[in-house]
Amino acid sequence: MRRRPGIGGLQTAAAARDQYRVLGENVAKLRTDLMKEQLATFRSQLEDFARKHKNDIRKNPSFRSQFHEMCAKVGVDPLASNKGFWAELLGIGDFYYELGVQIVEICLATRPLNGGLIDVQELCKLLRQKRKHDREAVYEDDCLRAISKLKTLGSGFEVISAGKKKLVRSVPTELNKDHNAILELAQAQGYVTADEVERRLSWTHGRANDTLDTLLDEGLAMIDDGHKDGKRCYWFPCVSSISSFGADG
Amino acid sequence: MSNFFSKAEVTSSGRPVFLRNEVECHLLSGVDFEPEDHLQFPPLKSGILILTTHRLLWLPSSSATAPTSASAIPLAAISHIFSSKKSLKSVFHSPRIRFQVLVSPDGRVFDPGSGSDYSSGSGSRSVVVTAVIRGKGDCDGFLVKFCDSWRAKAWESNETSGSGSGSGSGLASGSGAGTGTGGGLYSSDGSVRMVGVAGILRKEQEMWESTDKSLQDAFQDLNALMSKAKEMVTLAEKMRQKLLSGTSSQTSGNNDEDMGSKEEMQDWLLSVGIISPVTKESAGALYHQQLSRQLADFVRTPLERAGGMINLIDAYCLFNRARGTELISPDDMLKACSLWEKFDVPVMLRKFDSGVMVIQNKSHSDEEVFARIKSLATKPEALRNGVSPTDAAMTLGIAPAMAKEHLLTAESKGLLCRDISPDGFRFYINLFPEIDPCNIYFVKDFGICSTWIKAVSTSG
Repeated sequence: MRRRPGIGGLQTAAAARDQYRVLGENVAKLRTDLMKEQLATFRSQLEDFARKHKNDIRKNPSFRSQFHEMCAKVGVDPLASNKGFWAELLGIGDFYYELGVQIVEICLATRPLNGGLIDVQELCKLLRQKRKHDREAVYEDDCLRAISKLKTLGSGFEVISAGKKKLVRSVPTELNKDHNAILELAQAQGYVTADEVERRLSWTHGRANDTLDTLLDEGLAMIDDGHKDGKRCYWFPCVSSISSFGADG
Repeated sequence: MSNFFSKAEVTSSGRPVFLRNEVECHLLSGVDFEPEDHLQFPPLKSGILILTTHRLLWLPSSSATAPTSASAIPLAAISHIFSSKKSLKSVFHSPRIRFQVLVSPDGRVFDPGSGSDYSSGSGSRSVVVTAVIRGKGDCDGFLVKFCDSWRAKAWESNETSGSGSGSGSGLASGSGAGTGTGGGLYSSDGSVRMVGVAGILRKEQEMWESTDKSLQDAFQDLNALMSKAKEMVTLAEKMRQKLLSGTSSQTSGNNDEDMGSKEEMQDWLLSVGIISPVTKESAGALYHQQLSRQLADFVRTPLERAGGMINLIDAYCLFNRARGTELISPDDMLKACSLWEKFDVPVMLRKFDSGVMVIQNKSHSDEEVFARIKSLATKPEALRNGVSPTDAAMTLGIAPAMAKEHLLTAESKGLLCRDISPDGFRFYINLFPEIDPCNIYFVKDFGICSTWIKAVSTSG
């Protein structure tokens, strides 16, 4: 475009800008149309897949977890929203959200007993009791996924590993490495004494007592002063294998 | 305008109030209502059209106009729906839906709820109304649902007809209700018919083989699907970049169109399963906007019961339980709550330092709570023994966990001091501000310090 001075030049420049803008809009429209088309193709592929394998996803937990892993690798989140294609066509949204709500209820009900920390196996067992009449089996992997979705709502829902066991935390208490170490130690017998902690983990007296006191404050540990040699035992309901629910909840 | 249509009731959050048994079927945005003949009513521009089993509702979309100007046309008053003609002209125009509405003699839409007798037919005229869909919604799908709802005549029976689905944007509700092959996965009721041990083993074998084969197919299909999904993700990333950088390069003239396309893009991203950020300018997907309003309405009752503040996760469980099917994900909930600051709703989301998130009434302000805590902490009993979270919970009428959060916040504002003892946490009123650093033993005659001294010295 030849640059011209004066009003003529301004008008030419304005006309040029307009032309570029129209071109840009056309390109944008083409891109949008392309995207719409791609989305429609993807959706129809997903529909085919769903028609053939919807039941497999529901019934077969290893297939389900494989499906989730691949989604994660690709970068999509099938549980992101109830309105997405995944939830709509495969119907897995409701399964996980319902599971999430049931997990919250169970954690709330057992909190007076274990202070907000519950073993994943125990949780699964209670879940199965609760869902006796439901069609689909619930496995540990499903629970973990449901909990990872619940994390976004705050309130401290998280899965932590203490030794071989996985524990679900449902209170906002932060647990540091020291607490974890004691929990790991407690898995052997369900309880620990301060001496044991000092001996096995090579901690100082103060450190052991401090950590045990914090766990006591948060309600995760219970004191037992009736041991035959008079030492105080700290019991941890969350890692011990005693069944915490007597009658059916 | 208000003289022609029936009035539609709207809640304070902008969601329509439904009649008994009325169920929402579909929703379109960016819709204009135009009469064939402009004498009937002035055209309504750019609103949200909601189709339910009983009525057609039009809500103005900008929150600037008061929510009282929502309008409704009962489906009973519609005498004919014109099928859409696909002509060359219609390719360039926005899609239109035309229908014929019966008009009673006084110029208003015929209202089946009123006592007037339709079959007398005296001078009932009809007017053709056109709904122009300027937004980017699914017009054909809407038309199909419109015809279905109209033919189903849900208002004539007392039960909901089979056409409506659960609340939400009317997507196919095949999810979540699949048929299993019989329950009892964990109980072994031993009712399998046995044809000898060999028979059982053979049956097991066959089952495993068929499962195996179908699984192999499934895995192959899964791989194919995932590779397609990967393409979608790269495309969606490009779209997302465009979303984030969009506003900087547009002139102010195209704002409305921009908003529409941004909403649409976010809808797409959501469908594929990518969580897109709710930017300050855009208001997120239309789905989240409606969900946000619905949530604001729903949460009002639990809030009152809980004393003005409720844990976000409790609200999530209550809401999902109330929905029954088509549950929402935690991300949906979070998005919906964060959209509240854009709309004028009486509730807000609040995050405490400990990470706990709560929903609270806007009227339930911090100052009011602090005033109550202060009055609680200056009672003689409290001056001696302090306030524990349970005491505060009983006095304030809220849950103990919430009470603890409030006490901690009051402490960080300088109102209270904590005391950690083997009994747990207790809070006392903060006396330090009253003590003059130059003259620390001087006690003012009025003020909390003297009250405290009096209270403490009278104890045994």
